[in-house]
Amino acid sequence: MLRSQRQKDLLLDSFIYVFLFIIMLTMLYPFYYVLISSFNKGSDSLLGGVYLWPRSITLENYKMFLNDPNWYRAFLVSVSRTVVGTALGVLLTCLVAYALSHRDLVFSKVYFTVIIFAMYFSGGLIPYYVVLRSLGLLNSFGVYVIPTMLSTFFLLIAISFFREIPGELKESAYMDGANELVIFVRIILPVSTPLIATMALFLGVGQWNAWLDSAYFVQSEGLRTLTYRMMEVINKSNTPMDAIAAANAASSGVTSYSLQVTSMVVSIAPIVCVYPFLQKYFVQGIMLGSVKG
Amino acid sequence: MELDTRLTNSMVKTGQNALLWKRFKKQKVLHVFVGLGMVFLLIFSYTPMFGIIMAFKDYSISTGIKGIFTSEWVGLKYFDEFINDYQFDRIVRNTLVLSLLKIIFTFPAPIMFAILLNEVRHMAFKRIVQTISYLPHFISWVVVVGLAFSFFSTDVGIVNKALLGLGLIDKPLDILTNPDHFWGLAVGSAVWKEVGWWTIIFLAAISGINPALYEAAQIDGAGRLARIRHITIPSMKGTIVVVLILTIGSILGGGLVGSNFEQAYLLGNSINNPTSEIVQTYAFKVGLRDGRFSYAAAIDLIQSIISVVLIFSSNYIAKRVSGSSLF
Repeated sequence: MLRSQRQKDLLLDSFIYVFLFIIMLTMLYPFYYVLISSFNKGSDSLLGGVYLWPRSITLENYKMFLNDPNWYRAFLVSVSRTVVGTALGVLLTCLVAYALSHRDLVFSKVYFTVIIFAMYFSGGLIPYYVVLRSLGLLNSFGVYVIPTMLSTFFLLIAISFFREIPGELKESAYMDGANELVIFVRIILPVSTPLIATMALFLGVGQWNAWLDSAYFVQSEGLRTLTYRMMEVINKSNTPMDAIAAANAASSGVTSYSLQVTSMVVSIAPIVCVYPFLQKYFVQGIMLGSVKG
Repeated sequence: MELDTRLTNSMVKTGQNALLWKRFKKQKVLHVFVGLGMVFLLIFSYTPMFGIIMAFKDYSISTGIKGIFTSEWVGLKYFDEFINDYQFDRIVRNTLVLSLLKIIFTFPAPIMFAILLNEVRHMAFKRIVQTISYLPHFISWVVVVGLAFSFFSTDVGIVNKALLGLGLIDKPLDILTNPDHFWGLAVGSAVWKEVGWWTIIFLAAISGINPALYEAAQIDGAGRLARIRHITIPSMKGTIVVVLILTIGSILGGGLVGSNFEQAYLLGNSINNPTSEIVQTYAFKVGLRDGRFSYAAAIDLIQSIISVVLIFSSNYIAKRVSGSSLF
């Protein structure tokens, strides 16, 4: 009886381990594959058979990526929108949340109703586009960073976080005659590092990954983001490259496909770099979120 | 006497108002802070919400935001037009099929994954598997589509190259362009991208189970499968219901696993269009590409109304059935 139970357990265990191992490989291998492809000579990749390591190692793909003004520019736009957009988003969301975290705030019920309603309902993309157009945000860098300045989801999380901060911290500052803005900047923000880190990471990843705004709210080629360029290449992967690129490709073996995988690596790399931090904080973030605001 | 109470009542009221006003003035800096947020929501959330009335009007983009209110009412003209659109049946079918398939396959996946992970006793292995499993959640859909391209495209895809090399197929499989494969591709990529992320919430539910329950069951002679069936799964019921409500409420948008719009838009192309065109992508193309704003807003509005009805009805049913609900 006992022995057969143990055998059954062993069978179950081996099934679980093998199954999970396969899942792990399915999740990981695609990333590994684009990584090795980006270090493999483009013309060689097209022959196939590169599965485990680069066959003909080269840095040409990356050189080409940096030398191509379109890719390089798109990379810079993505970096700037991520930095500026995240900073603005964290700042406004925290500022509003700080004010709303005062339990004795007059009209706070009205404010909360306005926020919750906005969380559940939206006018949809078409009227939103009309609003962006009337504000003159279309075809400007602002369209990336201004409409994302307030996150209602993080607003609620931040309110419950600020409410946990002991009141004594602020009281002594009040005694010294500090105003709310000073208290917010000097006292509240410094003790809210976990909150700010969580928000910054999530908003930052969102900014870095966004593509729709670049595709439809912007026409100027100089404002395209990395994700947009990638989408463009994937969509028309069969069309020939422009003359200069083609001439370079002949000597370096870079193809539009090898540039595509290189751009994918460039796009994934920052996320993998912040991943350990994301992980540390998002569990915290989920816990914060579960506390009723 | 009566007059007296009325008098005191009004006095108390003005007294309260004065007090409220005094408090408001004292808090004025805070109200400026909140005011910034309110102005933001007014512009970017509420103006578009009012703008939805353009669905009932003959709106032209050149008239700007004022045109939404001044343009001529046309009633349900654009709703009629959509229902009579020759593509209507196909688009609605695609939307419903994609949404349903995604729920059927992507909702149970994280539950099963969480249960399996919970059975792993090597903590290091469990951690590694889990950490890797939610990495794809943070990657853009554009990159995911790029990965799909690297694996399945007919000319550079390694799946096709490998199968051809092994002699299993004579010509490359057109997974990315064949209309018959689009739904499988969309559901598969959604599971791949989001299964690990949703596992977190179910694992949290499992970790809240009292270990004494397992010990008692073990003493009673319950094997591991029996313990999963009679303890783990029933204990997750509350979480499962909440996540199911959220999923059903947002089913037309794609549930919790990646937006239908992003998938249909990025994985869709002119060849697989017969199965990949959904209401949202159609509204988007009609609106922003063809410039037919009122028509697109009407299409969007139909979907939004159905979604709101779904949210409230799934919440109501869940409340009746299990006592758990969101609001």
